[in-house]
Amino acid sequence: MHPRFLASGRRLGTLAGLFGLCLLLWILTPHFLTVSNLLNVLEQTAINAVIAAGMTFVIISGGIDLSVGSLVALSGVVLGTLLHAGVPMPVAIAASLGVGFFFGVLNGLAITWGRLPPFIATLGMMSVARGCALLFTDGRPVSGFDAAFRNLATARVFGIPAPVLVAIGVYIVAWFVLSKTRFGRYVYAIGGNEEATRLSGVNVRLHKMCVYGVSGLASAVAAVLLTSRLNSAQPIAGIMYELDAIAATVIGGTSLMGGEGGLGGTIIGALIMGVLRNGLNLLGVSSFVQQIVIGLVIVFAVLIDTALKSRRT
Amino acid sequence: MSHRRRLAAIVVLVVLAMVAACNRGGTETSARPRVGLVLKTLNSPFFIEMQRGAEEAAKRLNVDLVVQAADREIDVERQMQIIENLIQSRVGALAITPAGSREVVPAVGKANAAGIPTIIVDTRLDPKASADAGVKTVTFIGSDNVLGGKMIGEYLVKVSGGNAKVAILEGIPGHETGDSRVKGFRGAVGAAPGIAIVASQPANWERDQGFTVFQNILQAHPEIDTVFACNDMMALGAIEAIASAGRAGKIRVLGFDAVQDARKAIVEGKMEASVAQFPDEMGRVAVESAVKALKGETVPPDQGVRIALVTRENAKQ
Repeated sequence: MHPRFLASGRRLGTLAGLFGLCLLLWILTPHFLTVSNLLNVLEQTAINAVIAAGMTFVIISGGIDLSVGSLVALSGVVLGTLLHAGVPMPVAIAASLGVGFFFGVLNGLAITWGRLPPFIATLGMMSVARGCALLFTDGRPVSGFDAAFRNLATARVFGIPAPVLVAIGVYIVAWFVLSKTRFGRYVYAIGGNEEATRLSGVNVRLHKMCVYGVSGLASAVAAVLLTSRLNSAQPIAGIMYELDAIAATVIGGTSLMGGEGGLGGTIIGALIMGVLRNGLNLLGVSSFVQQIVIGLVIVFAVLIDTALKSRRT
Repeated sequence: MSHRRRLAAIVVLVVLAMVAACNRGGTETSARPRVGLVLKTLNSPFFIEMQRGAEEAAKRLNVDLVVQAADREIDVERQMQIIENLIQSRVGALAITPAGSREVVPAVGKANAAGIPTIIVDTRLDPKASADAGVKTVTFIGSDNVLGGKMIGEYLVKVSGGNAKVAILEGIPGHETGDSRVKGFRGAVGAAPGIAIVASQPANWERDQGFTVFQNILQAHPEIDTVFACNDMMALGAIEAIASAGRAGKIRVLGFDAVQDARKAIVEGKMEASVAQFPDEMGRVAVESAVKALKGETVPPDQGVRIALVTRENAKQ
């Protein structure tokens, strides 16, 4: 069977899962299918969805990025500190995005030039970036920003919350890069067969470095949204966000083996997690059971993936 | 293809079964007032006690109580999501134990906008952040942590005869609860010139961090003879560090919260004193205040819950 067809078939399956879940919640609670709750779910999903967009690049390239949660914290505290120092908002945001990109590229350097496995390199960065964030702020949150910055979280355009629009923007750009540019094609090629890609004359090191830069950049965008949402930049923010982002990507059908998957699936994966958490809160399900349900959904999603692969080979 | 469909069907069925199983008696149509209690976490004895107190009061007052908490105590963004979701499910009133005294303020603002009376329990909202955002709360229910820190500090002055070299294990930096305890403690021991605070470092409320942080402090300052940990979990970690340094019984350990393990340690002589809070009472008062607010009755804006010093004499309870 043609791989592309399979990929879209998988995505349809995930989409069906999302609709099934929504249907179920619609039957179980009158509070789920309301305009205000659906917007609420989208708003809550925005941050994870943005991080997961970067994670999708990394995982398609055959890697993993465990440092995203710490990079959210680090870019966030840089942003918060600059805003408090009176730096104009666009400059502060640009600087924070720069920090995310830079630390992402450092991951890439350790992986390409240092030849470290991505798991180890980004695990190290997870600790380094967290430490930097704590050191930079002396462990204390930086909070209280002006209304213009808070608008990034609270404003609504035609009723749609601003964070949702930012996430949509991120996905449009990411989709364009991944499917319409040479860089995007190389990301798939590197994940599919790195050695063959290198032998066909592609600068694999450069492109892999960029992949981790993209992931760092996505984390920084998420940091801007998070800082605005909480009206505070915490050095302890984003702990375990890497797992949520990996889960959204994997539920969305991107293979941890690399070389296949896409952003469409990831956005559905992020929505499944958001809807699930929202629904379980609406139903008043015990917090412990919520963790079990979310874990099972992740495992079953990957189970489907593996089952599909074994059929194909 | 059919294989995939079958798997997908299994996923949906499992989720359906689990949700149905967990949603026992979710009576949406009943006229009972619905109150949401959002805790910091459900994996610490303190909050489990609080939940128990709240559930007892809910049963007595015929309240439909929904208790939710984030997986991780410090995950304030997830706590905000839970609050937003409870607002969507139209709870009548909310009681919140803030995971961040500033970070929860926007979520309280959303509850205000939805007209849902909000009660703050255990950790105060940051006064400046809430004033800036113009948020309103019905009442604050909690221990006076400054007083608690003062009590344990005065106890130290008494038993040490005014001479001690002290290390402090702080909670998460910037947390009002821990900061207040340290403030009260420093205030009390400041009166005794012979008491020196040699080191003060955060161990983020956690037992394993209490262990490693105190181990490091002991390396740097072997002269220390007293440790005050802002909660018992860190104190218990410090006790293990003292034992592994071979100095058991030589260092005075003071804690806070008087959890079961700490009371046991006090009876066994491994720990000197702690301060008991009454989280079950906080839970009870929170539900009672929610009911009063829903009936339109007046609720005092600040409701202190009693605290008590626990030493060897009264640890067995």
